[in-house]
Amino acid sequence: MALVKLKEFCIPDKPEQVDACVAKYGDNALILAGGSFIHGLEARGLLSEVEALVDIRKLGFAGVTFSSEGLRIGAMTTFAQLEQLPELGSAPWLGALKDALTYPPMQIKNAATVGGCLAAACPFFDIPTALMALDCRLSVSKAGAKREMNLADLFAGLFENSLAPGELIMEAKLAKPAGRAASAFIKLEGTANDLAIVNAAAYISLDGSGKCQAARVTLGGGVGDNVVRSSSAEQVLLGQKLTEELLQRAADAVGQDIQPMADHRASAAYRLAMAKVFTKRALSQALSRLN
Amino acid sequence: MTNLNVVGKSVLRQDAYEKVVGGKGFPVNVSLPGMLHGKMLRSPYPHARILSIDTSRAEMLPGVKAVMTPKDVPQIIFNPIFFMPADSVAIHRDMLILSDTVRFAGQPVAAVAATTAAIAEQALSLIDVEYEELPAVFDPEEAMKEGAPEIHAGVKNNIRATPSFGAGDVEQGFKEADYVFEGTYETQRVHTCYMEPRVCVSDTDSSGHITIYSSIAHLFGLRERLAYALGLPVSKVTAIQAPYTGGSFGSKLDLAYIEALSALLSAKTKKPVRMEHTRYEDFICNARHPMKVHLKTGVKKDGTMTARYASTLCDTSAYSAHGPEVIMVHAYFGLMLGYRAPHTKWEGTVVYTNNMPGGAFRGYGAPQAAFAVESQIDEICEKLGFDPIEFRLKNTPRQGDPHPFNPEWKLGGYALDQCLHKGAERMGWANRAKAGSASGTKKRGIGMAAHPIWVSGCVGFPDIYEHSGAIIRLNVDGTAYLSSATMDIGSGQNTTLCQIAAEELGLKFESVRMAPGNTDNLPFDAPTHASRVTYSSGNAVKVAAADAKKNLLEVAATVMEANVADLEVRDGMISVKGAPAKAMSVADVVKRAESPFMVVGAQGPTPTTLKEKGTIMGISSVAPPANASPAVAEFVEVEVDTETGQVKVLRAVYAHDLGRVVNPAAAQGQVEGGLQQGIGYALMEEMLFAPETGACLTSDFLDYKMPTAVEMPSKIECIFIESNEPTGPYGAKSLSEACLIVPAPAIANAIYNAIGVRFHSLPITPEKILAALGKL
Amino acid sequence: MKQLISLEVNGDTHEIAVEADATLLSVLRDNLGLIGTKRGCDSGGCGCCTVHVDGKAMYSCMMYALSAQGRKITTIEGLGSEEKIDPLQDAFVKEGAVQCGYCTCGMIMTAKQLLHDNPHPDEDAIRHGIAGNLCRCTGYHKIVEAIKTAAGN
Repeated sequence: MALVKLKEFCIPDKPEQVDACVAKYGDNALILAGGSFIHGLEARGLLSEVEALVDIRKLGFAGVTFSSEGLRIGAMTTFAQLEQLPELGSAPWLGALKDALTYPPMQIKNAATVGGCLAAACPFFDIPTALMALDCRLSVSKAGAKREMNLADLFAGLFENSLAPGELIMEAKLAKPAGRAASAFIKLEGTANDLAIVNAAAYISLDGSGKCQAARVTLGGGVGDNVVRSSSAEQVLLGQKLTEELLQRAADAVGQDIQPMADHRASAAYRLAMAKVFTKRALSQALSRLN
Repeated sequence: MTNLNVVGKSVLRQDAYEKVVGGKGFPVNVSLPGMLHGKMLRSPYPHARILSIDTSRAEMLPGVKAVMTPKDVPQIIFNPIFFMPADSVAIHRDMLILSDTVRFAGQPVAAVAATTAAIAEQALSLIDVEYEELPAVFDPEEAMKEGAPEIHAGVKNNIRATPSFGAGDVEQGFKEADYVFEGTYETQRVHTCYMEPRVCVSDTDSSGHITIYSSIAHLFGLRERLAYALGLPVSKVTAIQAPYTGGSFGSKLDLAYIEALSALLSAKTKKPVRMEHTRYEDFICNARHPMKVHLKTGVKKDGTMTARYASTLCDTSAYSAHGPEVIMVHAYFGLMLGYRAPHTKWEGTVVYTNNMPGGAFRGYGAPQAAFAVESQIDEICEKLGFDPIEFRLKNTPRQGDPHPFNPEWKLGGYALDQCLHKGAERMGWANRAKAGSASGTKKRGIGMAAHPIWVSGCVGFPDIYEHSGAIIRLNVDGTAYLSSATMDIGSGQNTTLCQIAAEELGLKFESVRMAPGNTDNLPFDAPTHASRVTYSSGNAVKVAAADAKKNLLEVAATVMEANVADLEVRDGMISVKGAPAKAMSVADVVKRAESPFMVVGAQGPTPTTLKEKGTIMGISSVAPPANASPAVAEFVEVEVDTETGQVKVLRAVYAHDLGRVVNPAAAQGQVEGGLQQGIGYALMEEMLFAPETGACLTSDFLDYKMPTAVEMPSKIECIFIESNEPTGPYGAKSLSEACLIVPAPAIANAIYNAIGVRFHSLPITPEKILAALGKL
Repeated sequence: MKQLISLEVNGDTHEIAVEADATLLSVLRDNLGLIGTKRGCDSGGCGCCTVHVDGKAMYSCMMYALSAQGRKITTIEGLGSEEKIDPLQDAFVKEGAVQCGYCTCGMIMTAKQLLHDNPHPDEDAIRHGIAGNLCRCTGYHKIVEAIKTAAGN
């Protein structure tokens, strides 16, 4: 098709084989997980320099475990597999992830992997916005060397991640919060089968007196090169009792942290206005899950 | 109306079982031995001259068998429309198969045939084209100004045509009005989004005869236009009829580059050549013409219209193609004929721009018109306190009136009043709230639109083909084969025609089968367009079936020793009226007719008579007697989220006078599908292009948004009024295009009712709504 | 340079030579003659190419043939049996859900998984379930009815 320079299609059984392939082709080796994002890029002619594809499905690290410590999601877990987790429905703090998983069509959910989705560093996706609000940490590994990072540090620009060539995401981890916490995610799309024009996720946790002790407000869609965390919105909420009026003020504050873009889907002004509306809706939904 | 045996029943489509297990018959499946694959190189520039093309590197790529550039094609300038004669004076010829002058971004400049599609694709990157870029213009108003780039030599100000017509004196008419309403209404470029790509296979024999398989909506049109563009007589081209194709909605009514190029490449390589559009190529193949309509209406206090003036600016894009035709249908059957006034005037301007070509799309200019007309009527009624139903009825024709386009026709069966009243009642129209009065952030509203005069084909239109033919053959097993060059594009044409044939012949529906043919052995038929198949092709099928039945009964009369006039056929049995016991099956009669001259039986050989001998057939080639007008009204309920501008369509009630329903389930399917296209047209669809380069930004389904199942209302109600059209087969007239003419204005008017804001341009996006509410 | 791979489709094992970047869709149609799976957009936007991979509905245009090795592929041709078509296929015919038919096979494959996961879906679940499949002819109305009918049986 459009992979005019493709020389090799590797399907490694062991991580070392990944390293070997990457060593040979460097930046022109592309890691292939679920494949949905890659084909989108290919269809737009953006993969003409790719010389090698590395299909990592056989390496395993799929599967989800839920414990008292929280959630561990193997990077090769598909959205559909993740959606099966019973705790998604019963743990309010995971609400944002549950919500984000309701949006993609069936065919995408069956193919797309959490690791592939995050590594794409695509701001128009939904899972990254939701996981950022849940303070996701990643385990990554290359040539046997493991390291941990915050999800936020994975993103290095539009469609750019900070991984070294051949470095793979192994696992996404979400620590279970102590106390009362809930989250929500909401997406603005043109139709039910669309990338986000904007999306927003909100995580709030309350202390014993009902005041907000932790808040994370994240936004995606066309509001930045990667998922944006709105500290301005969070500052409005911290230490306060959460009223409708306060949630609205927090939502209005996101404008200080985002850079809405204009494209054929929406103008910057619309994205700015919707970022606020959808942040408010995500906050309200999260709050309702707390009660 | 009499109850019929087959017509009027929701019989199952004969091809449905085949389609659910795979669908062998789609043209996309055609494969011939030794077939090559073709690809086109397309210009990145919207307006350019080709200074040179070097194909030497491409020709050297192993697997490449032929390369074509502008110098290799016949220098015959043509118009691609299938349904008008190739040499018609009513259309403009301004296209070449490959041209040295590029007029839209994506115009093909070269083509390659190779052993695989991948090799052909690779070869494209080895073709070196030197372009001289020319200034381009994309806005039709800019294109008309002095100093704008000249797109076609000698066409001053890029104005292709300036048609006009009228009656009386509009200035006088406006003076006589108590109120004058004026507005400008704009509609956007949208794509048909048929699911089966344009695809064709051309094959050449040793005499240079071309056989072509293609996904198209007009079999004979392909033959004629391909032959013309190649400089061949029509007898040198055979177009093969596919049993069905995967959608058209109007897009497949003109010659595509792939058809001409595959034929040329096949002639050159002496092998079959297949070419299939990518979805990007489909998106830039053709689109509905964007139009800007200025509409002025004068009304008296009593609600009668005194004068109607309209002007239309139509962007016909890089080539004339359908533009000058679309604007006429738009003007007559879209804008001016439906509502009467003593003084009328319409002026149109058809302008070239460097945009992608315009084509045909369900409604052919009427959706653009209806948006203007029905929005303005809504404004008039709101402002002056008129009842929208009564206002429309006051200014539209009635049953028995002469047809406004041709007074020799009568509106024989015409029930706009029932459409309006029944639709209104079902929707609860009388209970609708005052515009903008809803409380809360999610506001509901109800709107309506009507379309009083439309077509059932092209009788009466200058230079548009409108005749159909059919051949019916009876088989010895009592079944019948129907041969008709009608293309089934998905609306169920094959089934409709078989139902009509079965009804006329007196056979069960299951006994009649469509037998696909080709242009060598079928009589001419006009395209699947203009909502004509039931009324026009159906008429020809009925005539052929009557002919076959007459022949059948003559043989039966001999065999059964009865009078022809006393015989009737029902469910495949021929009996004497009033004496059903004395019956003979159609099968046995046909068997007798097809049997050898001497039949050997138990008693020895018996001669059968000459009178009974031969294949029993019926043939027709006829034009329909008139152009019957359906009538339609649609009522829609919407909910507007005033925080986001998003609009949800909650419910639709569609009322249509179609004379007689041939197949209720299929008719509902047309309404439901039309609503999907209408919701897309009203709320979200738009072809978008980069402002400097004209590059298409919406050339896949990710970027071009059309409604999924989630955006559709779960309540779509169809009210079919059967006014029993005297000139239609079994009283039927047309349905299909009207299903897409009325939804957008109904939705726009519903939005007005919900939030008290009116929009004069489509699509009404969430962003437009928020901006209009002052929230952006 | 082509590679020889082995693919299991509808229970049959096939050995085919494919380019590295050949999609499962192109291999099904062009190598195996399984023309029920259709190309509508080649970019995961329309659903006409939907097949099952290990029982899960996926866009075959978005999967490389090489990645499909070792997995069980089911196409529309693999539904039903020699004696009977699948109830979904039957429902689509009887409810009038088939117009041009080009989206139909992909739609049925998606609906098949939908009903497997959720045997009695409400209308909302059905509409969301088929949101990844586009249709231009039917307005989805009778498709939804057909899926409801198949679920009821």
